[in-house]
Amino acid sequence: MDGSRGNRSFSSSRLARIGEMFKTVAQLIRKFTSSLSFKLSFYAALIMVLALLVFSYHSISTQEENLVNRMVQGALKDSEVIKAAIWNGMMANDRKVINEIINTVGSQVDFEEINVFDLTGRLCFTSNPGTPEQGERPSTDPLFKDVETDTSWRFRHTRDGKSIRVVNPILNSKSCSSASCHAHPESEKVLGLLEVKLGLSGVNRELFKSKQNTIVFAAVLFLLVSTISGLAVVFLVNPGIRRLQRRAARMAKGQYRPEGSTTGLDEMAQLSRAFDQMSRKVNERTQDLDRRRKMYKALFNEAPCYFTVVSRDYRIVRANRTFQDAFGDQVGRHCYTGYKGLDSRCENCPVEKTFADGRSHQSEEIWRLDGKNAYVLVKTSPILDPGGHITEVLEMSIDVTRLKQLQIDFEKKQQEYKYLFDNAPCYLTVVDREFNIVQTNRLFENDFGGHTAKKCYQVYKQRDSKCDNCPVEKTFLDGQTHNSEETWRRAGEDTHIIVYTAPVMDAQGYITAVMEMSTNITEVKRLQSQLVTLGETIAGMSHTVKNILCGLQGGVYVIDSGLTRGKEDRVRAGWSMVKNNVEKVSELVQGILYASKEREPEYQPCDPAKVLSEVCDLYEGKARSEGVQLVRAFDPIIGLYMLDPAGIHSALSNLVSNAIEACRRGEARDDRTVKIGGCAEAGTLFLQVSDDGIGMSEEVKEKLFNRFYSTKGSKGTGLGLVITRKVVEEHGGTIHVESKPGKGTTFTIEIPVQSAGQGDAIRAAV
Amino acid sequence: MAKKILVIDDEPDMVTFLSTLLEDNGYEIVTAFDGEEGLQKCKSEKPDLVSLDLLMPNKTGIKMYREMRKDAEIAHIPVVMVTGFGKDDVPSMDFKKWIHERAIKAPEAYIEKPVDKDVLLNAIKTALG
Repeated sequence: MDGSRGNRSFSSSRLARIGEMFKTVAQLIRKFTSSLSFKLSFYAALIMVLALLVFSYHSISTQEENLVNRMVQGALKDSEVIKAAIWNGMMANDRKVINEIINTVGSQVDFEEINVFDLTGRLCFTSNPGTPEQGERPSTDPLFKDVETDTSWRFRHTRDGKSIRVVNPILNSKSCSSASCHAHPESEKVLGLLEVKLGLSGVNRELFKSKQNTIVFAAVLFLLVSTISGLAVVFLVNPGIRRLQRRAARMAKGQYRPEGSTTGLDEMAQLSRAFDQMSRKVNERTQDLDRRRKMYKALFNEAPCYFTVVSRDYRIVRANRTFQDAFGDQVGRHCYTGYKGLDSRCENCPVEKTFADGRSHQSEEIWRLDGKNAYVLVKTSPILDPGGHITEVLEMSIDVTRLKQLQIDFEKKQQEYKYLFDNAPCYLTVVDREFNIVQTNRLFENDFGGHTAKKCYQVYKQRDSKCDNCPVEKTFLDGQTHNSEETWRRAGEDTHIIVYTAPVMDAQGYITAVMEMSTNITEVKRLQSQLVTLGETIAGMSHTVKNILCGLQGGVYVIDSGLTRGKEDRVRAGWSMVKNNVEKVSELVQGILYASKEREPEYQPCDPAKVLSEVCDLYEGKARSEGVQLVRAFDPIIGLYMLDPAGIHSALSNLVSNAIEACRRGEARDDRTVKIGGCAEAGTLFLQVSDDGIGMSEEVKEKLFNRFYSTKGSKGTGLGLVITRKVVEEHGGTIHVESKPGKGTTFTIEIPVQSAGQGDAIRAAV
Repeated sequence: MAKKILVIDDEPDMVTFLSTLLEDNGYEIVTAFDGEEGLQKCKSEKPDLVSLDLLMPNKTGIKMYREMRKDAEIAHIPVVMVTGFGKDDVPSMDFKKWIHERAIKAPEAYIEKPVDKDVLLNAIKTALG
């Protein structure tokens, strides 16, 4: 048992060893047959041998043809010789001789058989004893066909190529037809046929030998060529190739050590140099690629934005360090979970779009970062394989939360500024370099309507060209704030405006537009003017008071002096001064009270002519004493009108008093007059006081109605004309003055009054 | 011999007061009521000093002062301005400034109304040397 088991295990291990050996051998053979030296030498030798075989085939065929031809020619000559040899026998009808000749010749080398047939096909003579003497010429043999008509010889190889048959016709001749033995008719052309069969064994032997030589030569040649070429490859090509292999292997490992220059001129040397060059290039490219790879890797990892690579099933394949630092390890998870906090794919997913169309897409998303919402701008781009198919999508995401917050803040600020701009209590316009209004606020739109695209000077000033000293232009030039005070005329009224300009700059500091802020300061101007007037009023009043004080002081001194020195005239003069000034104080106080108090006129039916007469009567004496003539230029009855007679009396008294004073201070003449007139026309009462006195300058005219302004020094209170104007205005009327220095002055009062008809009714009532 | 003073003012009360005051203090007084008359009296009376009001009809005190200073005959006479307008009342009426700007010899004194007797008398005394 054990023995048989031992035998079995032995035989199986042996079989295994044999199998291994065969495998090794097969591997060696495969290695050898697949080697370049084998292939090169094998195919080179094969080509040589094939060429040799083709050549040999052609050569042997030619040789065979030549040998056969030579045999045929020999056979023909032999048949002619035989024909000639047997001629005499035939003529003598000596069959013995004929047979002898045929047998003799037929026993020669290469002659297989010589037959003579008559025309019927009967075999008359043969060198082959086995051939029946009386036989039928084979009718199917094409060599015998048409032999009666075609008298030329013919031949054929046998099918096996072992023999050649020549059929030569025995032609009729005169001696034959006239022979005594058995004469052949003259009409017969052919009397019989001579068939000579020649064996081709010699030729075949020669050919066989020739083929044998060729094969041997081919085999030798094959071995020789394959050996030489094999050796040439082994010694000349293989070392170079092995060297290139070694270098290629090194190159594959990333080792680019140069081999040193090869100086040879053969293809291997050229190949080596080309390889060197290629190696250098590959080295450069590899280093460049390596550098780029490192750079891109660094960029990928260190970029201040999140890089993730997403597969087709929306799982994160790779993520950069920035992403990992912010969201931890998300690789292998769906991109929409975790940091996006979703259970399913996002709506409007840019990754899906990129997978669909291979283009970049972007979206704004809200991610969860540190428990807070983060605004993220996501952009995707496809990652392609070498075949151009999208395998993954790169997702680049930037946290724009601060930017978004800034944007929100900016929009909020913008709205606030817009609100301020719109609701500012002044006109705000933004003007471009061509002075076109490009933006306006609400107040402007309310007062001027929408005027964008129009020129600022057209809208504000109704001009066709830009204003002189234009603050907008200045601001465009120097980028500084400028202002100017301007007067706009709108709806027939002058509006005083102060315009401030400020530059509007872009991010680069370039002035793109100018903001024009126009504030209506008409009321401020009016108040300013009132303040000036008030200042002058106070100055004028203090001056008046000062003059009165001077008079009182002087009067007191003069009285004191008179009393001290016992001079009564001085006491009287001083007392007069005191009385005059006390009266002035009284007048002043009454005037101030009248001018300052708001009072309603006490209207009653009144004829202005009556008031005019009273005033003329009042000042008649004073005028006369000053050498001035009072001229009453009014009708005794003007009509009854509703007036405040006391007020009108006061107003006219001031004018007449002033007129007499103007005459007194004017050029000294005898014919100085003050003319007092009055009439009513078309519902208006005209009252006029004119003189030919000193007249007034423009400056005096401007201040005429100011309180406490007086040209009469200490004589005037500066309130007369103020009171006059107040009375006129209380009656709803106006007062005008015309004056020329040295020529005189005319005051004209116009008061609207009720119609004459109503006036008559009032008169009747009174 | 008493010094002669020409008092020029369009206000009779002021003339009366100044004349009385100056007479009481030993001066001889001549009066005039406007600039025109003042100039004439300057030449005819040859006063030792002129008391001049600024605002007067016909010829103002300013005009008269300017002509007086140009006239060699009377240019040397000292002048005391007695005016109702202080420079604080109406800035445009700041005569002192006006004179200074025109490079005319300034008056010897300014006295503002209401007149302080002692100030006026001192000023006159100083001007007369």
